[in-house]
Amino acid sequence: MMLFLARRTATLGVSVLLASFLVFLIPYVTPGDPARKIIRSRVSGEVVDEATVQALTLQLGIGDPLWTQYLRWLGRFGSGDMGLSYTSRTPVVEQVLPALWITLSMVVATLGAAALVSVLLGTAAALQEGRLADKAITTVTQAFIAIPEYWLAPVLVLIFALKLSVLPSAGWAGPASAVLPVTVLALRPISHFTSAVREGVLDALSAEHVVAARSRGLGRRKTVLKHVLPNGLLPLTTLAAVWFAGLLGGSVIVEVIFAIPGMGRLLYDAVLNSDIPLAQGGVVVVVGLAVVLTTAADLVHRLLNPRMRAHHA
Amino acid sequence: MRALLRSSAAMGLVAVLALSGCGFSGEGESPQAADLDQRIVVDNFRAPVADWALESDAAYILSLSGCLETLTRYDEAAGKIVPSLATGWEQVSDLEWDFTLRDGVKFQDGTALTADTVVNSLRTVLEAEVPARAFNPTVVSGVEAIDERTVRITTPTESPLVPYRLASVNTGVLAPAAFEGETVDPFGHCTGPFTPVSEKPKQSLTLDRNEDYWGGQVQLAGAEVRFITDGATRATQVQTGEADVSLSIPVSSLSALEADENVKVLKADSPRTATLYMNNGKAPFDDVEFRQALRAALDLNTLAGSVYEGAALPASGPFAPSEPWAIEGAQTPQQDVEAARQLLAAAGYTAGRPLEIIAIVERAEFADVATVIQENLKAVDVPVKIRTAEYAAVEPDLLSGDYDMVLSQRNRLIDIADPIGFLTADYTCDGGYNLSHFCDEDYDKLIAQAARTADTQERYRLYAEAGKILQDQAVNIWLVNEQAIDAVRANLGSHVQDPLARYVLRAETTKSGS
Repeated sequence: MMLFLARRTATLGVSVLLASFLVFLIPYVTPGDPARKIIRSRVSGEVVDEATVQALTLQLGIGDPLWTQYLRWLGRFGSGDMGLSYTSRTPVVEQVLPALWITLSMVVATLGAAALVSVLLGTAAALQEGRLADKAITTVTQAFIAIPEYWLAPVLVLIFALKLSVLPSAGWAGPASAVLPVTVLALRPISHFTSAVREGVLDALSAEHVVAARSRGLGRRKTVLKHVLPNGLLPLTTLAAVWFAGLLGGSVIVEVIFAIPGMGRLLYDAVLNSDIPLAQGGVVVVVGLAVVLTTAADLVHRLLNPRMRAHHA
Repeated sequence: MRALLRSSAAMGLVAVLALSGCGFSGEGESPQAADLDQRIVVDNFRAPVADWALESDAAYILSLSGCLETLTRYDEAAGKIVPSLATGWEQVSDLEWDFTLRDGVKFQDGTALTADTVVNSLRTVLEAEVPARAFNPTVVSGVEAIDERTVRITTPTESPLVPYRLASVNTGVLAPAAFEGETVDPFGHCTGPFTPVSEKPKQSLTLDRNEDYWGGQVQLAGAEVRFITDGATRATQVQTGEADVSLSIPVSSLSALEADENVKVLKADSPRTATLYMNNGKAPFDDVEFRQALRAALDLNTLAGSVYEGAALPASGPFAPSEPWAIEGAQTPQQDVEAARQLLAAAGYTAGRPLEIIAIVERAEFADVATVIQENLKAVDVPVKIRTAEYAAVEPDLLSGDYDMVLSQRNRLIDIADPIGFLTADYTCDGGYNLSHFCDEDYDKLIAQAARTADTQERYRLYAEAGKILQDQAVNIWLVNEQAIDAVRANLGSHVQDPLARYVLRAETTKSGS
């Protein structure tokens, strides 16, 4: 176990360093002068005063060699300082934390809803294997993968905000405003989770101890609740952790359409504006959380899975 | 000439902004009908990027929110600069202007508006590391208090446009307490009809009525300004009633909004013209007859009707016809393929390498515009290829003259409500943004003369004359004049559309309770 944790800690460090370096490179490998992009993010307009460009380049040190700039950032980050945003000149941490909180809330709600729906649908499909209900659940949930967010979101807004007036069309102000974005984000996880739960339950149903329990006269309902679901849901822990990491920074479209100031939008704007410290800070937090979460999921998986526990023992 | 310019300073300014058709003003509503308990929601298209720094675009948000006020301001109805926090102004020497402050004005924190407080606020903007377009050390060399009620602005060269600069939202005045922290704090430190009371970062700004507003009773109890970048979402919110005002409506949402009886769609000419820039410094564009031939080959009416779905009007030159400096009698060039062919022959043009049009990806419609132009030019045997690119990627080539044609659009009034900055930067020989690489001695003389001319009407005449040079020489092809489109709920009263979205929440804005 200690070896596992040590390996994952090393992975965390390497991932964060790699991600922060790649993000750092973006403004320099994409076309255009970073200083001009920063200026335009603050004062829109095409005409940019060359003297201002020079002064800003000097002040921010973005004309220095890349490795110098990166090491400078690394030194600060090592002492717990994410630096100041190039565009707003406010501490990066003050922008990242509120956005992270919003995204975390949204992602937890999304995965919670997706897990609940998937457990019900996946279990039902497995228990009805090969029948109409199984085929219907599988077909419908697989179709969720093909529905693009940029199409579904406006359609849901049209129905529930414009026509029925039962939900707000945008914003992040209370549970009602979370319903539509969470629904849009949850569809794809539901598709994957349902499939995983179905397979997990089917595997568990055919396990020797389950068959033995049934042969001893244990009722179907009790068998499912006591022996099938605990094992059948194991794949969900790892899958949910992977989705968690993906949704942390990958819900830009939903955040833009529903005007939610989360991490996706923060990172998108930061890259667009060449706001290197903000982009680096945001990515480091997202990558760090992703590695921590997948590690935690693996640990939970190991603790819950009797075969893996036995293997460790 | 030194001019004494009182409140009648800039007659006829930006008539386009002042057209009564720009908005609806709730005529017929008596002030007694106003419900003083009402609050409204305004959906704006951008969030403050640089915190609340006045030199940044965040100043626009504070201004449209009815918080930030300037020494002078634009009166859309009268089409001129009028007093605001200053009651008068006077050019006291070639390089100096004195502004007399209004008596009895207090900031929302109770501090009195004095020359010292104004100087403190303006100097903060002047000394910013990324200075404002309208108020920076290249155009303003100093700000000082002459006495308790008088602020003196000094310029490096004689300029009749100082009152215009002091109407820029970037020169809004905040109380000294706003600048005590590391970042600007506008909460309770403005002079306007609305006081910001809370902010959800990147989401919204909530404001309450300023009970002690110097301009009289504020009709609304308060407002919320939301920052919603997606145009379709803004359009939906005004339809659902979640928003009372939605700024900058996309063309794709127009028909739905126009069909909704609870919503009014407001349109006004914006100071933006989509333009096909041509590199006048490079063959074959260095031949005026070649450029005129391309202009004759284009069908601007069809372009406006198809790609822009009627939400933009075919252009007649570098200015919109409703602008006070528009070229008299200017007409939209009509497509004439035969004339185009003759001009091409006169220019000695023979089809060779395909000419390239760069379509900037930041404006999604430009790819379609480029395709229409490509088809039009194909009809006169001018081969064209299209390249889409990010603006930042092609900017160095545009500035250095290493391109053929590029589709772009400029806001002529982006710094001040006068096109001098645009005409200077974009078309003078030494212009800092002369993408066309155009250079004409007569044009430069006209612009230099205009820059020194205090008489507004005469200055506008000089602009028109300069514009005619650009049009006659077909320096670029001005394609369509874009329109500012906003939508408001039908029960909103006394709302006047500002195409530049500087003034939205005003003391007189009302909302009926129904």
